[in-house]
Amino acid sequence: MSARPLPITGLALCNALGDSAAAVRDALFAGRSGLGPSPIPLPFETCVGAIDAALPPLPSALAAWDTRTHRIAALLLAQLEGELGRLRRRWSPGRIAVLLGTSTAGADVTEGAYRDYLRQGALPQGYDLFKQHTYGAVLHVVRELTGARGPAWVVSTACTSSAKPLASAQRLIRAGLIDAAIVGGIDTLCGMTLRGFHSLEALSPKPCRPFAAQRDGLNIGEGGAFLLVEREGEALALLEGVGESSDAYHISAPHPEGRGARLAMERAFAQAGCDPSSVDHINAHGTGTRLNDAAEAQAIAGLCGNEVPVVSTKGYTGHMLGAAGASEAAFAIFSLLEGRIPPSLGCLPLDEKITIRVCSEGVQARVRRVLSNSFAFGGNNVSVLLGATR
Amino acid sequence: MRSEEVAVVGYGLFVPGFAGVPAWTKGVYDAAQSAPLALSIPARQRRRTSTLTKALADAYAEALAMANLAAPEVASVFASALGEASTMLGLLEQLWSEEGLLSPQRFVTSVHNAAAGVVSIAGGNQGFSTSLGADYDTPAMALAEGIGLVLAEGAAVVVCCGDEGISGDLVPAGKGWELMAAAIALVPSERAPTAAPRLRLEEGPVYGEADDADSSERWAPLALSHELASNPCVGLLELVDALARDKQGSVRLDRGQGAGYVAHLHRGKGSELRAGDPGSAERGVAP
Repeated sequence: MSARPLPITGLALCNALGDSAAAVRDALFAGRSGLGPSPIPLPFETCVGAIDAALPPLPSALAAWDTRTHRIAALLLAQLEGELGRLRRRWSPGRIAVLLGTSTAGADVTEGAYRDYLRQGALPQGYDLFKQHTYGAVLHVVRELTGARGPAWVVSTACTSSAKPLASAQRLIRAGLIDAAIVGGIDTLCGMTLRGFHSLEALSPKPCRPFAAQRDGLNIGEGGAFLLVEREGEALALLEGVGESSDAYHISAPHPEGRGARLAMERAFAQAGCDPSSVDHINAHGTGTRLNDAAEAQAIAGLCGNEVPVVSTKGYTGHMLGAAGASEAAFAIFSLLEGRIPPSLGCLPLDEKITIRVCSEGVQARVRRVLSNSFAFGGNNVSVLLGATR
Repeated sequence: MRSEEVAVVGYGLFVPGFAGVPAWTKGVYDAAQSAPLALSIPARQRRRTSTLTKALADAYAEALAMANLAAPEVASVFASALGEASTMLGLLEQLWSEEGLLSPQRFVTSVHNAAAGVVSIAGGNQGFSTSLGADYDTPAMALAEGIGLVLAEGAAVVVCCGDEGISGDLVPAGKGWELMAAAIALVPSERAPTAAPRLRLEEGPVYGEADDADSSERWAPLALSHELASNPCVGLLELVDALARDKQGSVRLDRGQGAGYVAHLHRGKGSELRAGDPGSAERGVAP
């Protein structure tokens, strides 16, 4: 049974492409990458997508929560000031949920604190796990800055973390538990993720090249994205369906034929009550690793054919991990609003085993329906289907 | 917030010394059961699996078996305030060692959804699985996600919460807690036997305030050791305990550090139970 589409009534972004939704949109359609050298010293070469913009400190009442993650959250909320005001006028605080995703939480802060602990035998003054690291910390900051008092949680399913809250919001609205949700995710650069992916030999020393014949790994990025999902309202785009699946195959490698990826896409279309042939564009997970891109391309080709324009935006922002799903859903909304598809950076020459239509150049087209894929460790898969309002 | 009712068809738990609901309700501590066995996970995978994931897997397996649900077909919500904390501490020690090299195996299993992944692989489950956290509201929010799945999609879902033991490395001395995991299996009311307990999730009122409209019993917190009572997920253990003792009424899902959500329980059909002793023996303490 298909579900009624829900309006997405606001979006905010901050990543290596800029500190506003407009800046990010302009960079995407200009084909301008935000990848560069890592601000964190590393004993190996790689590129990252770092936020260059200054992040304003939190208000004094939240000084104990003042971390990079929470500053990104505050910056995103500032972008949504008008929309949030309208949200609060329309819905009661207890009916507005905060549903976020992250893979790193406050790991960047805890890394430094634990270095002090190991070297000096004590955590630094001012370090507080529950104000600077845990999931409750970012929830507290967002609730305090917005007045939202409905259910609040953080999904942490690695690289699908911020796509899944879109499905949670959809379910809670359909179940009558809430009327609106602030949805999204934030991840920041930290030593553990950079060195962890290096230990898996998954990092490229150069800008990543999703779907290219010579692709050799991913780049890590940081960023955040918030979307507003409401029971009703003036929509930028429609949340038509979210498909979720598990590979049930391997803790860190995707199923080689993209079995779980295909299931997630199928479920998104089924929930929307539409045919895969109706999709105009796919924002692929497209990390730039050999295994992911091959499996995802096979799944897309099998379900949607080889003609739909496919793009990976990892060459712009790096893989923002826990922030990727919501950020790329926002990129998909830009395509719906603008009738444009950004070029998939670094994809040429294409891997000849990949038969899908990866866009090496930007495309102007009528875009009425976009699918955005996110896949993660644990074999966790999410596909978000978004539709135009016009 | 006040959800519609869903039916509870199974539950399970792991607390050190109490491997499962029968041992827990009888109050029989067994030192040999101090670590979770996770026999539902294939041995090769089990060797690489953390204590938290094993404890969650044991609670999940017990709830699944009681519910008579098929492992490949049930949705799952795994929830934890801190997740794989000891794995993260191991990575931090490697990060700040001279070489700064991280173990790839440890990195892969440090993700919050490690248990969700391991259990879905072991059960051949290609369905919905998620992993979330919300500090001391983790049990309440895991239930909200699970109830959303049941009400919006008609799913059968196992909600599983737990946190591993943590001591002075990241929190001040005396602020740590002991390992525990608990799980409940939920299905739509219309798909459950009429006698199956019904559950709804709602916000407070909290202890000391006027009771809610239906004047049902509000259970006092279980008498638990300080270390066990401090676990952010203890609310789900309290709920499983109430279910196992066939109680009705409201069970608060945090111990004062969360938002005050309560799970309201009542029987599908049958006589009302009187609120009795919620369990005066201190549990979670080795004799």
